[in-house]
Amino acid sequence: MIRVQHEPFDPGREQRALIQGRSDIGAVVSFTGLVRDFNERPEVEALTLEHYPGMTESALTDIVKEAESRWPLQGVCVIHRVGRLTPGDPIVLVVVASAHRREAFEACDFIMDYLKTRAPFWKKEHTSSGHYWVAERASDQRDARRWEEP
Amino acid sequence: MSLTHLNVRGEAHMVDIADKSESQREAIASGHIAMRPETLALLVEGGLPKGDVLATARIAGIQAAKRTHELIPLCHALALSKVAIDFHLDEEASRVEVSATCRLNGRTGVEMEALTAVSVACLTLYDMCKAVDKGMQIGAIRLESKTGGKSGDYRREADESEAPIVTGEYRSGEVSVGMRADLPCVRVKCLAELRERLGVSDLDVPFDSLEEQNVAGLKAALKARDDRFARLEDARILCAVNQVMGGDSTPLTADDEVAFFPPVTGG
Repeated sequence: MIRVQHEPFDPGREQRALIQGRSDIGAVVSFTGLVRDFNERPEVEALTLEHYPGMTESALTDIVKEAESRWPLQGVCVIHRVGRLTPGDPIVLVVVASAHRREAFEACDFIMDYLKTRAPFWKKEHTSSGHYWVAERASDQRDARRWEEP
Repeated sequence: MSLTHLNVRGEAHMVDIADKSESQREAIASGHIAMRPETLALLVEGGLPKGDVLATARIAGIQAAKRTHELIPLCHALALSKVAIDFHLDEEASRVEVSATCRLNGRTGVEMEALTAVSVACLTLYDMCKAVDKGMQIGAIRLESKTGGKSGDYRREADESEAPIVTGEYRSGEVSVGMRADLPCVRVKCLAELRERLGVSDLDVPFDSLEEQNVAGLKAALKARDDRFARLEDARILCAVNQVMGGDSTPLTADDEVAFFPPVTGG
């Protein structure tokens, strides 16, 4: 299940919906990303998330398919918010269900690494000293390369 | 308007601030040091002989803010409640941008502290990198904003010559492409920071204006219309054709949608 939305989400409700009525799931790993109040500059007051409608959904679908081809997964939920967010707001949710914990941990980690480097989202931060587009991080690229074939 | 550091006889004196009321004061100053792209790359990789350049410059800036009164003759010694130094590596302009935020509850402003912090952080960056680049240039050290105090708040007006400071909402710019509506076209989109820097959101390019029927040909046709599109040649700028990542050699046909955008930063 993949959603791109303006509205907040409830990680507990999404997780319950994913595993409801299932007895074959042995592990659920959930990651929630939140808006920080410091990043490239201190005192981030808000951020605006832009995306590329259409490509965003297909990029996220491809990432989830790739995860499903690498690990035996029983269910995946990815929600990413767009629009204006303030510190403390949930911004992204990845919930992965599997029979065993290792697969769920790894697939959740993988989906976040690929989402951060391949899904067309862009953050603009608003601070007391001005607005600016967030620059990409070399560490995100390094993290994503961990999953490539040796 | 008079100079507060001169008394009635025109002599320098330190202003007596005992009777001024306390208020929360904050000042933000900025500056930059321009260097060769190779030097900036070494700085990013941590390959400079003196070690961690930014961490050292940050401490130097903080120390400098605390010692401003020792350097600037008529400045008061202040018990700063906060000093923060931030660096932004601007690879396009090949420079490190430095900003300093100083704050206190007190009777006098903290702009000299913020300006001193930026100056010394820039000088330290020079010292840390000078073994590989002696031509570095420090520039544009200035007050960005100050709040609190009797003289009121100040915020620098954006210079016309600077790159546009991006705003909360975007305005879609348009360029005239002088085309007839019935021509087959490639639909071009510029997204996020690229859209704001170019001032262009969507435009159509007649398919038969492409000398090569691929993304490189489209870039050439755009550049021929307007020099601003030279920015699309930047290696950072990514491209998707019909919403799938592509590159210069990706073939195009009429009615394709081609999006150009900077590296993604979601999550």
